[in-house]
Amino acid sequence: MTPVAVGLFVETSDGPRLLGSKCATCDTPYFPKAAICNNPNCNGSNLEDAQFGPRGTLWGYTVQYYPPPPPAKYDEPYQPYAIGLVDMVEGLRVLTRISTHAPEAVNVGADVELVIEKLYTDPQGNDVSTFKFREVRE
Amino acid sequence: MRDVAVLGVGMHPWGKFEDKSITDLSRIAVEAALKDASMSWPEIEAVSAASSRFSGGKGWGLNGNDIVEEMGSTGVPVYNLSAGCAAGGNAFNIGYTLVASGLYDRILVFGAEKMPKGMIQTSGVEEETDPEYLRQVSVGMPGPAFWGMLCRQRMDEFGTTEEDLARIAVKAHDNGQHNEYARFRQKFTLEDVLTSNLVSYPLRLYEICPVSDGAAAVILGSTEEARKRTSEPVYVASSTVATYTYDDGIPRGLASVSPLGKTQHSEAALAVKKAFDDAGLGPKDVDLIELQDNTVYYELAFPEEWGFCEPGEAESLVKKGQTAPSGKLPINPSGGFLCFGEATTAMGVFQICEMTWQLRGDAGARQVPDAKVALSQTLGLGGNGTAAILKR
Repeated sequence: MTPVAVGLFVETSDGPRLLGSKCATCDTPYFPKAAICNNPNCNGSNLEDAQFGPRGTLWGYTVQYYPPPPPAKYDEPYQPYAIGLVDMVEGLRVLTRISTHAPEAVNVGADVELVIEKLYTDPQGNDVSTFKFREVRE
Repeated sequence: MRDVAVLGVGMHPWGKFEDKSITDLSRIAVEAALKDASMSWPEIEAVSAASSRFSGGKGWGLNGNDIVEEMGSTGVPVYNLSAGCAAGGNAFNIGYTLVASGLYDRILVFGAEKMPKGMIQTSGVEEETDPEYLRQVSVGMPGPAFWGMLCRQRMDEFGTTEEDLARIAVKAHDNGQHNEYARFRQKFTLEDVLTSNLVSYPLRLYEICPVSDGAAAVILGSTEEARKRTSEPVYVASSTVATYTYDDGIPRGLASVSPLGKTQHSEAALAVKKAFDDAGLGPKDVDLIELQDNTVYYELAFPEEWGFCEPGEAESLVKKGQTAPSGKLPINPSGGFLCFGEATTAMGVFQICEMTWQLRGDAGARQVPDAKVALSQTLGLGGNGTAAILKR
């Protein structure tokens, strides 16, 4: 699959991870990668590459009932999907697709894990991937 | 800084106007404001205009220059202000500041918009370095999805029901039906709202605002100018601008730091707090609020975030009718964005027009009884927030 954007996520031997930065001075996490620490209370930007994932908690979600306007892309026929806000264990709060077949039945407060999945098929027939979170199946 | 008064206000009705240009809408609003102020165009000493992203302004947001060319090129200084959906509030703030500083005695503030058809994308930039663009391509999350997500979280935290949400839309249309400038003037029942299409769960079509065309103009001036015209002027008690803070819990791109507290919409809360501080007033002094109700959710969250009530209390205020014009905390007696639709950069100026009519006692069937102090607020892309307090 082709990633929807360069440098957002990676499949590692331990599973998928988000690619970002972390400030060595104040521990602030950034996704995607940042050029400078913008925490006003930081004593001096010192950013290092960092990987985040896979676990977090779902803070809230919605279901996107209508096709999103460009530049977002989707397969026809359009299927409503769930979008959520996940607080990752690393202290990062991420806006994300929720991977589910029942978007209305997502649970606020659920434990979730990072996955890399298909977003849509491009006009050349290639599958394009993005990062999503799904509820952890215990 | 000296006192600033509202000398005149004027609007073009909100709607969709295929046969009029943005400058046509602007001119009608400006002519109405000039007439209200008993003033002729050459008396205007400066123009503070909201920049439109969508129409006119020579594609550069030069909408202030367009209106000067339309009305007559007198050589006045023009300030074009861009702040997303907060641009109208921003233009008002600059107009206020220029009069308060003593630089000008008579200044025109206006905002106008002709919106494209259908859903708009938030960012106009298609580059992977733009965080809005990156969120749209990788997640597919337009503006209403944020409101739906915040709403769903609130349901979990405070037990907000779908009826609580729908009741706010019913109240908006109870007010808007009496406003000749509103685009949607029909009354809605709870059932009408609850059977409208789901847009972003749990929000339905009648619980979010569409986009509209519209224009609003305000003429601000010194106390001396005001006293020439009326014995009871409406004054600007304060006008503020803010941007969002690092600890805000709503990511503006793809991610933020998980917040320790519950700071949300910090650009709006900061602007409102500073407006209270500058005016020496507090929530208990406010007789009515015109807030940016892109969605019914904001009518629940904002009064709490600004100290008007406790977290989780807003639903019961609405249910008891306290946010109606006859209640203790009237919100959006104009009908708000739900009844007008959002003509993005005109909205902050439209709010000033409505508050002026309310404070003069000229608001007819939607009048808040004996209104003396009114608060308005906008927020827009980029984390821009504005607030203004008017008083008589």
